[in-house]
Amino acid sequence: MHNAYSLLEYMPAVFRALGLTIWLSWLALILGAVGGLLLALMRTSNFRVLRLMALLYVELFRSIPILIILFFFFYGAPLILGWNLTAFAAATAALSAHASALMSEVIRAGIESVGRGQWEAAQSNGMTYTQAMRHVIGPQAMQVILPPSVNIYIMVLKESSIASIIGYVELTATGLVIREAHGGGFAILAIVALLYFIVCYAISLAGGVLERRMKVAGSGLQMDEL
Amino acid sequence: MNSFTFNLRAIVPYLGELKMAVVTTVAMSLSTIVLSLAIGLFFAVLRQSRVAPLRWLATAYVEFFRNTPLLVMLYFAYFMMPVIGLRMSPFQSGLVGMTLHFGAYMTEILRAGLIAVPNGQYEAGNSQGMTSLQILRHVVLPQVFRTIYAPLGNQLINIVLGSSLTSAIAVNEIASWMQTAGSDSFRYFETFLIAAIAYAVLCQAINLTRIFIGRALFPDNR
Repeated sequence: MHNAYSLLEYMPAVFRALGLTIWLSWLALILGAVGGLLLALMRTSNFRVLRLMALLYVELFRSIPILIILFFFFYGAPLILGWNLTAFAAATAALSAHASALMSEVIRAGIESVGRGQWEAAQSNGMTYTQAMRHVIGPQAMQVILPPSVNIYIMVLKESSIASIIGYVELTATGLVIREAHGGGFAILAIVALLYFIVCYAISLAGGVLERRMKVAGSGLQMDEL
Repeated sequence: MNSFTFNLRAIVPYLGELKMAVVTTVAMSLSTIVLSLAIGLFFAVLRQSRVAPLRWLATAYVEFFRNTPLLVMLYFAYFMMPVIGLRMSPFQSGLVGMTLHFGAYMTEILRAGLIAVPNGQYEAGNSQGMTSLQILRHVVLPQVFRTIYAPLGNQLINIVLGSSLTSAIAVNEIASWMQTAGSDSFRYFETFLIAAIAYAVLCQAINLTRIFIGRALFPDNR
């Protein structure tokens, strides 16, 4: 029972848990991209109040640990707001709130990288704000946005491990549960760490390829690919 | 749902523990900063080495720890210590996990700084009869410092934020205080608010210090 070989029995459960980790982080990234887009549009808008609100949001997430936000959603929200969030919902909320802050910075940099002349050209063609964003600014900004988004995804994937602290049984929590069942030791945690590494490293390699390809190929990407 | 009333006074009995928690967070962060800088400098120099296996070792270290969650590393350190016969407090094993994780980021920051120093600087040092250590100390590091100043500041903040995860391995720092005081008093929002403010003050203190020292040291930047 106490040898490394018997850990193999748990592998199907570990891989299922890895699936949950990827699902949770992917969901948080998508929600974070939507929130980030909204925040970035606020940051680049002409209204000072909107700009300040978005700035405050981003700065807040730079100064408060994500774990504290998670505790707020899981323990605080039921008492204050009357929301009874499951561990999964609380983790998704906290992770996407953080991802929104990160994505907004990247998307803002993307929007700002597009020259002023492009805005003026779009306006002089009678385009509305939405049309200019959708057809002129968005596709060009995408080149700047996509490569760092890969890094944000890796960050969110690693960060999703904190869901284990509030009892959502994803990869990290599964490792801890198996460790208990297996009579201690740390071999299973090494396996868990290795799995995180393989997935994250593979994504970062793919991100590197993407980054090189985009530099050469130029734009041609659509806003919906975010 | 019963109506929620905001009551900060309910938190007063827990403020003594909060003080200890803040001290623990600061101690953990400062120790991590010092140790991860040392490890980072070691591996950054290794990554520049002419001996290929040493470079590979440093690259493997950086890539492994940058692509694994800090929390998993903390659990790993926490559970590994007793197995290999080391008796460590949660604080100490937390420090090991934090140092290994953030050391990898420090390596990358320092490496970027080292790369930014042109080769001619090393040659100039050499031609003055300096040893490699002297060149590192008097010629290279002062220039490295300038390049890494801004990313280093961000990393210090990340370390403070990351130290919150050590609550998972029973280190009684601020996040852990929030959880215990919150569950004890059932005043989660108030404890959340206090903990958030405590972290924000620590992080902004680093941020503002960075900006002011930066202005004094590099007046021509920005």
